[in-house]
Amino acid sequence: MTRYLTQDEVIAALPHLTRPRLLAFIAAEVVVPVASNSGPLFRDIDLARLDLLCDLADPFGLEGDTLALVIALVDRLHASHHQLRMLASALAAEPAEVRARVGASLLAAGRASDR
Amino acid sequence: MGHKAMSRDPYAALGLKKSATAAEIKAAYRKLVRSSHPDLNPDDAGAEVRFKAASAAYDLLKDPATRARFDAGEIDASGAERPDRKFYRDYAASAEHPYQRTRGFQGQDDPGDIFAEFLRQRGRGGAAPGGEGVAWNDFATRGPDLHFSLEVPFLDAVRGAKTRITLPVGGTLEVQIPPGTEAGQVLRLRGRGGPGQGGGPAGDALIEISLRPHPVFRREGDDIVITLPITFDEAVLGAKVTTPTLAGPVSLTIPKGASSGRVLRLRGRGVVRAGGGAGDQRVELRIVAPRHLDRELQAFFESWRKTHPDDPRRTLFEGMPT
Repeated sequence: MTRYLTQDEVIAALPHLTRPRLLAFIAAEVVVPVASNSGPLFRDIDLARLDLLCDLADPFGLEGDTLALVIALVDRLHASHHQLRMLASALAAEPAEVRARVGASLLAAGRASDR
Repeated sequence: MGHKAMSRDPYAALGLKKSATAAEIKAAYRKLVRSSHPDLNPDDAGAEVRFKAASAAYDLLKDPATRARFDAGEIDASGAERPDRKFYRDYAASAEHPYQRTRGFQGQDDPGDIFAEFLRQRGRGGAAPGGEGVAWNDFATRGPDLHFSLEVPFLDAVRGAKTRITLPVGGTLEVQIPPGTEAGQVLRLRGRGGPGQGGGPAGDALIEISLRPHPVFRREGDDIVITLPITFDEAVLGAKVTTPTLAGPVSLTIPKGASSGRVLRLRGRGVVRAGGGAGDQRVELRIVAPRHLDRELQAFFESWRKTHPDDPRRTLFEGMPT
């Protein structure tokens, strides 16, 4: 079962996260906690995301819509990367001649776009 | 791997001299975030180690007071790193990713179509012929799923119930808990999530159920398990007693000579299955000594012990070290 942390526990767990900053992240909807009748709850994935948001907010001064834009691009990056990995692992399980044919096709496509 | 060499000298970790200005420290760190943050460089296996070293160094040097104490040798670079940190990219492949709306590949009819479908998705947005002819429904986006956690009393989950959750944006949402709901089960309320855009459908509300334990009933699969206290005399002589069940009190026969730990089964008194039928209720007996041990009882057992030597622990010692 999923482990949940409360707002106070999350603030205690993440060194760069302050209460006003967490509330700003929630208001900007860059993190969407699990709702419960006892208040917002955070999953492990929310903690990792909050860490990342702090990494972006701190040195780059990102907030609000700008931060939302960047995190949306990171989500797309991860989604595309995940798709690519699934594709690669599906192909890796294919017989050698299939892999060779697909590999040759990819190399040819790479050369074509170089020109 | 503690990666200690880097964290000894935070200036070296950021590629700086000791004379670097605050602006140079920030600029160097920004560059390293771009090139080494695991979430901006998901392909880079070495990114995590490089980023951890850089951010530990930056944490030490970004605050002039902390930096001055480090320069004076009052503090060292140890302890600045967080070895336990997990990165967002580590969750990219998790099945129920709450921040990803489109997952994996599509191609319901023919698996061979997924490549063509993948290329079509790309083509749609990219080649909009200038100005006119843009189909607005191409921008339709499904709304986000909203996640809830709901603690339900044990009996409500087992027997089914209606309840409501308070939405973070205000208002409430009525939730029908189906009978036999288990801890960790996720209920999906279609269309009750965030609104869609451009005419797209609303997302779903996903409600993960946790159970508030019951003081008497436990659940094991479709069976309900309880521990039923009985007295000495009920254990020796047998008895007809009353036991609680999900549907109310039920009469139960304790056989003569029952021991603690003996399990009696009430067929069909467990959790009702969705497809029909039901589990059992298992009643585990537990002999409870009388609260008040009177003289008469003690005298009886003293004489009884003399004439009935028995050692139920005898077999425990077979083949054991002596």
